[in-house]
Amino acid sequence: MKDKTLIFGNGPCAHYLAEDLLSTGADIVITTTDKTCNFSPSEHSGSIEILTDTRLVSCRGSVGNFRILAARNNKEIKRTVAGVIVAEEDQRKSNFSLYGLKASSCVITLSQAKELLLDSSHKQSIFLKAKKVVFLTGLVKESHPAITEEIMHSALRLQSDFNLQTYILTANLKVAADGLEALYRETKEAGAVYIKFTDTRPEIHSKSDDSVQIEFVDEITLKKFKLTPDISVVDETIVPSDYAADLSRILGVDADADGFVQADNVHRFTVFTNRKGIMTAGSSRSIQTCGDQITDAANAALVSAGRMAGLQIVPEDRAEIDKGQCIRCLTCYRLCPYRAIALNTRVVVEPHACERCGICAAQCPRGAIRIKHLEPESILNQIPKGYNPQKEVAFTPFIVAFCCSRSAVQARELARCMGHELPSGLKVIEVPCSGSISFDHIYGAFERNADGVMVLTCHEGNCHSEQGNIYAKQTVAQIMDMFLQIGFEKKRLAVQTLASNMATEFAEMVNRFEANIIELGPSRLKK
Amino acid sequence: MADKNVLIIGGGTAGLSAAVELVNLDIHVDLVEKSDFLGGHAVGYTCKATRNTCVKCGACMVEEKLNDTILHPKIKIWTGSRVQEVSKNGRFTAKIHCKPKYIDPHKCTTCRICFDKCPVDGAILHGFSKSNIPFYAINEELCLYLKDKSCGLCRDECPETAINLDPKATEYIKEADAVLVASGFHPFNPEDKPYGYHRSQNVITSLDLERILKQVGRVKRPSDDTIPERIAFIQCVGSRDSKLNHLWCSKVCCGSALRMARRIKDRQPEIDITVFYMDVQTFGKDFEQFYKDAQEEVRMIRAIPGDIYETDRQKLKINFLDNNTHETLEEIFDLVVLSIGITPGKDNGEIAELLHLKLADSGFFKSGAEEASAPNTGIFTAGTISGAMSIPETIASAGKSARQIVKYFRANDS
Repeated sequence: MKDKTLIFGNGPCAHYLAEDLLSTGADIVITTTDKTCNFSPSEHSGSIEILTDTRLVSCRGSVGNFRILAARNNKEIKRTVAGVIVAEEDQRKSNFSLYGLKASSCVITLSQAKELLLDSSHKQSIFLKAKKVVFLTGLVKESHPAITEEIMHSALRLQSDFNLQTYILTANLKVAADGLEALYRETKEAGAVYIKFTDTRPEIHSKSDDSVQIEFVDEITLKKFKLTPDISVVDETIVPSDYAADLSRILGVDADADGFVQADNVHRFTVFTNRKGIMTAGSSRSIQTCGDQITDAANAALVSAGRMAGLQIVPEDRAEIDKGQCIRCLTCYRLCPYRAIALNTRVVVEPHACERCGICAAQCPRGAIRIKHLEPESILNQIPKGYNPQKEVAFTPFIVAFCCSRSAVQARELARCMGHELPSGLKVIEVPCSGSISFDHIYGAFERNADGVMVLTCHEGNCHSEQGNIYAKQTVAQIMDMFLQIGFEKKRLAVQTLASNMATEFAEMVNRFEANIIELGPSRLKK
Repeated sequence: MADKNVLIIGGGTAGLSAAVELVNLDIHVDLVEKSDFLGGHAVGYTCKATRNTCVKCGACMVEEKLNDTILHPKIKIWTGSRVQEVSKNGRFTAKIHCKPKYIDPHKCTTCRICFDKCPVDGAILHGFSKSNIPFYAINEELCLYLKDKSCGLCRDECPETAINLDPKATEYIKEADAVLVASGFHPFNPEDKPYGYHRSQNVITSLDLERILKQVGRVKRPSDDTIPERIAFIQCVGSRDSKLNHLWCSKVCCGSALRMARRIKDRQPEIDITVFYMDVQTFGKDFEQFYKDAQEEVRMIRAIPGDIYETDRQKLKINFLDNNTHETLEEIFDLVVLSIGITPGKDNGEIAELLHLKLADSGFFKSGAEEASAPNTGIFTAGTISGAMSIPETIASAGKSARQIVKYFRANDS
């Protein structure tokens, strides 16, 4: 049986994606909450099933074997798919209130203006009788090039096909998208007038007959102007669809602060989520221009068609839960960033989903979870027992640094290349994620004669396991509290953040830490 | 697709990302990079995290792609190499010219002795990543031995005998099933602008600042190594400029400048920073908040300065038009950073000729609807070769090209 891919969405990105996958013989299922789906693929070799008016209920399992439960008219639909791609459209929120305006026959949204311009007959168009059209964008909240692009295309049409005068009032003109600066100049040549505001803002008055009057001081000429547009077009804020929020909750996929279905984390470039085998593309993951959506669709197709097999490889040393020890407290279930813990009759690890970050094992209050080669004993065995680098008369502190493999380990390597001096008693211990560091690791290091212990982790928002660095900080803070109570110097322990390319900072951190330890002298726990 | 081979021209962000995607699909890659180091411009970029929080510039992702590339057995890396001839007869046949390999990567231990002993500044170059192997390279233009054999210190002092100053250039013939052009951009050279670049030591480019922050961690004035009290960033240098016929926004400079400005304020809060700009462009998902916070720390002036003069103690006088009073003001700064734009690669013409492709009027390769190559020619493009892109956009562009290549292989096999 061939692996199927499930696509959520009914917009351009979902359609590009479906077309792309079908053309290379993939089998797909498209689901949409819309009543109809007008997608009709050109010649293709794969199979397609379209489920309209359908909402997701649950998604269990892991990459290669997602068990999807959806509902349509209260009827259950079950499908098993290898991968899932969220490619929902975004949603527009009108910005009338930001400008103190109300929708009327002469105050419309950008989407309405676009729609009116799409109708090629023009016969009914309100633009026919108009002489002046004003676009308001980015005057209260920052605009976006995806919005500017639409405004510029609309202004160009209005100038050339309707022969009317357009004014675009904005603060920062957003042109950071392909071809926009050129388009900006084209609209200016066509007669569009751009009025930019820096420290001042136009005064926008809504009259009783719904007409709009705009007064402002032009910042270039310092002259006062009054504009009485026949039609005012108000920009919109692009937000994720309501269904996108449901999808991220049901799929267990992290969303960003605005609710787009992808955490704001560089490790998710381009279409990945925290859940292996679930991708996100186009306007479902961020505000995108048309070009961006085509690029995203190709990226999602690339992974879906080519790399699913690779993603299904089970890591050799995945997390294992000891049945006898587990008390079903669900700590692991709550904390696993990759949703690799499933609740069946008991708590189990989804083997394909585990990324071996070690957070569950470090946080399990019963010590019921083991990951081979990541247990405190195996990690600490990298420090020979009775190891004591202090041979000279002068005190050379023995420093154990637990370093995240994605950041601090790399930074140390670069520091070496760049010729930075590093403490001679520094022992770097690589861990897949600092979230795998538990009390036992840190105590164990002191037990093995460390004079100081560092945990060097990724910056906030840059953790591949989302929160691993936060857990590491919490663990260290708790141990420091304990040190304080028992009268052990808490300065012997430190947690700091780094990126893989921060060699200079790595050297500074460990050297400063060494200086602190020299000041404290040898650890009293030393044997 | 284990029998397929793709020739990638360019080992920067786009080339590396595409290579990683292709080998993940079991496709072989020959990655040809003209410079001595993989990673392109972006490998020299600094992490811009502020208050221990990632700001998503993507610089560390370039590092990761580079790391993945050098470790992969299916990627053959050709640094210091150029593709000189390409012919197509079913498959592509390419002639790759490799300049001499002076430093043996297997022997070099990155001890830095050659770099420290070399009497000529810049004659031994260094990489920016631990994955630049070897980490050092001989600069053929400045090396005294290559000029007149008057020096040989690096070779003599190398404890590993890793340096040979007499090797010959080599040429290879390679076959490929597809060609991906990812040769990147050329950072705008601001020498012709009235900003005193290369005349005043304390006028640097954004690229220079990236490297200073990456290597030194803190800002200093190049002229005297003192901490600058006042820094000015000037945006849109070489971008959005009709006189130069550069009718594009370089997209990345607002993000780069403001992120670096905040990073500097984070470590050296005593420094005053002013940013001269035209329009602040949106970057990153949390732009609204980021920009609000940035305005608390950085003075924003909406004006592009006319010119810059050096005054006493190599300070810099900037003339600009004040928006409120409409008078020309003068202000003195200790360091000026020019946010230079992304312009077409210098080799674009040559590469276009080599592969019989057409360039757009801008000098970039055509992209999107007017793509340079018809999908069935087997020639593809990725990254900033077709216009300004951020690191995330470049990675996405490489993914798209990889997908196009896969589809091309499928279509031509059936």
